[in-house]
Amino acid sequence: MEQLINEIKLKVIEALNLEGMTPQDIEDTAPLFGDEGLGLDSIDVLELIVLLEKNYGIRLATPADGKAVFTSIATMASYVQAHRTK
Amino acid sequence: MKQVNIPSGANLAQLYRDLQPDYPKFFKMDVVSKLGFLLTEMLVAGEAGRFQPRQDRAVLVFSRQGCLANDTHYAATMADFPSPALFVYTLPNIVSGEIAIRNKYAGETSAYVLESYNKDTMWELVRQAFQDRITQSAIVAWIDCPTDTQWTAEAFLVNRNDL
Repeated sequence: MEQLINEIKLKVIEALNLEGMTPQDIEDTAPLFGDEGLGLDSIDVLELIVLLEKNYGIRLATPADGKAVFTSIATMASYVQAHRTK
Repeated sequence: MKQVNIPSGANLAQLYRDLQPDYPKFFKMDVVSKLGFLLTEMLVAGEAGRFQPRQDRAVLVFSRQGCLANDTHYAATMADFPSPALFVYTLPNIVSGEIAIRNKYAGETSAYVLESYNKDTMWELVRQAFQDRITQSAIVAWIDCPTDTQWTAEAFLVNRNDL
């Protein structure tokens, strides 16, 4: 799981152009949205949805799923591990 | 009238770091918006009352290519997974909005795509922007980017009494 978490962090940094940021700068359980976390916005959510489909073959069925999946890097990794098709 | 420019091919990320604006969204912008953002930072850094919401400053951006460089990148992603982050910059007026949002300008914002650099046309449009009796100053920029690494980028801070 630790390897997957690190891999997802790298893909998030690349997809969202988080310039100068490294995986070590992102806490596994820190919120991705809001003032306390990475401060991502609604466009970033769309990029994360594309990231899941492109890299792991996961297509989110409903927007409501996204809220739980994208809580943190750790929740993303758990969802990927359980649902990945590639 | 204050004037600034950014040489073609300059390292924009380094320029951002030099200016220290602390605005991470910069890295998600297309090259046109990055140039507009940086030019404005260079023009108004240290200005009294910076970031106080104001209606008396307009933003007018001119170009020949619009956002063509970003459009090309977005079109390339359409064959696979269209990129939402690129899609939001597929309008040539986004740059004027980015400048207004960053600086809390609520005045006139506009973007014009001209056939070529035409000073007379540009200044006529600037003069028209000042006819609303609210506008007291304007960020006026020519930002033309055929590619991500080639551009002409200059901007002026124009006050009513400059006209």
